[in-house]
Amino acid sequence: MQFFFHINLIFLVTIITSNTFAQNQIVADLSQENVKISTDFQGAKILLFGAYDGKKGDDIIVIVKGPKGLVTVQKKEKILGVWVNTRKVNYINTPKYLSISSNRRIDDILNKKTQKISEIGLNNLKIRIQPGIKVKYEKKWRQALTRNMLKSNLWSINENSVILNKDSLFRSYLELPSNVITGQFEVKILHYRNSKLVSQQINSINVSKSGISAEIYDIAQNYSTLYGFFAVLLAVLVGWGSNLIFRKV
Amino acid sequence: MYIYLPIAEQPIHSLAILGIGAFLGLIMGLVGVGGGFLLTPLMMFLGIPPPVAVASVANQLVAPSVSGVLSHWKRSNVDFKMGTVLLLGGIVGSSIGVILFNFLGKIGQLDFVIKSSYVIFLTLIGTLMFSESLRLILRTRKGKVTRGKLHQHNWLHGLPFKIRFRKSKLYISILLPILIGVIVGILAALMGIGGGFIIVPAMIYLLGMPTSLVVGTSLFQIIFVAANTTILQASQNQTVDVVLATILLLGSVIGVQIGSRFTNILRGEYLRLILSSIIILVSLKLLIDLVSVPSDLFSVIISR
Repeated sequence: MQFFFHINLIFLVTIITSNTFAQNQIVADLSQENVKISTDFQGAKILLFGAYDGKKGDDIIVIVKGPKGLVTVQKKEKILGVWVNTRKVNYINTPKYLSISSNRRIDDILNKKTQKISEIGLNNLKIRIQPGIKVKYEKKWRQALTRNMLKSNLWSINENSVILNKDSLFRSYLELPSNVITGQFEVKILHYRNSKLVSQQINSINVSKSGISAEIYDIAQNYSTLYGFFAVLLAVLVGWGSNLIFRKV
Repeated sequence: MYIYLPIAEQPIHSLAILGIGAFLGLIMGLVGVGGGFLLTPLMMFLGIPPPVAVASVANQLVAPSVSGVLSHWKRSNVDFKMGTVLLLGGIVGSSIGVILFNFLGKIGQLDFVIKSSYVIFLTLIGTLMFSESLRLILRTRKGKVTRGKLHQHNWLHGLPFKIRFRKSKLYISILLPILIGVIVGILAALMGIGGGFIIVPAMIYLLGMPTSLVVGTSLFQIIFVAANTTILQASQNQTVDVVLATILLLGSVIGVQIGSRFTNILRGEYLRLILSSIIILVSLKLLIDLVSVPSDLFSVIISR
């Protein structure tokens, strides 16, 4: 016990005394940890920056994962001349936001096997189809999920978007689209050297509604009947008011 | 200026919404017909999810109806007894409509049902209005104006539970206005419309009400149907976006006032011809969306 304590202490001292970082340590911070969706929200751009123990053969991959939950994929078919949704597949524990950023092509950083094991890449996500549903052509549905999530900007792959500076600083912009889902977002920063993970850090971003917009949403969800009455009352007042104002016209 | 809609959960250009509200208000002021049935499709074209568009439009509908009834009431153009019977049916109908709305949402067919109902109704109204105004224009050019019979008796007047409506000078079965109310109520809930374009002809041709009372009375019942729809949509489906409805309202209040000042610039038939052309175009656009091969057969729904 005593021994380990000493080791720890020595380790701490080396961190403090060394003018760089402790061996293989990565340190990162975000320009914004709380994203507020208020009335003027149009998406957010967050700067991720930090320092790492830069050596030759270093790569950084940043994975941002939003809250997980149910995502349904629907398929349209032509019935009597019109296109109607006929079939659907539910995916559970699917991240409703996902961005994977790196300093160069991920295929150049890691081989396919490592990508699969570390769940890096859209096809390597461990997403499950709701138990009890038998699905034919599973791959096609999964591709449709990926394609549509990419199209809505909720999922993204941003290779070359992590910028490594002078071998010890890095930065990257994380973009949250305006249709982003509220909740806790995990920001995982992975530091590779010659394709081996040497250090990592996890930060988090909290996305929440705020201001009038949040209050309206809350009331609509929690006091929905009251909200309905209020909405009607507001409309009645506007109608009555406009009648009073413009009466003499 | 972009504004984030709390229920639709997306930002939208507030001037676009204000403009659409004003445009439809203008139509209402100019033609006297509510352009309400154009409102939901236009919201959908802007990318508002159809369920939110329908419910919020129903909410905004309350305001012009209140303001309309007040001015018709002053001219004593409202048959409150008939209105009450209609609105009883309307409340039943809109409640059925909201339940149906909820059910269709659950099975994933809501967008389709909303869009296809619009295609059917807009095509119907558009072509009827177009041909009628065209006929009127051609006829007045020839210098002939003919009028049809106003009050006809048919089998509908043989139904039981007759009641006297003094104001409308009618003695008819209560079942008929209730049934009309129910149908209009279902449509109001499903499509976010007041149903004026259905209820007005129904009141004239089926009930045989005096034309002068029709608009005021239908507006009176629309207030309650729209209010009931709004409250039920809010409590059952949480799809009423009060911010969206308010911006639409402000636009339409301004539009109506501008429109009613310029009613004399164009003859009614010409205005109707223009309006019906717009309606036909909108329904065509919706139809094309339904029948053309989608760019992606698959789509995703992200549950909140």
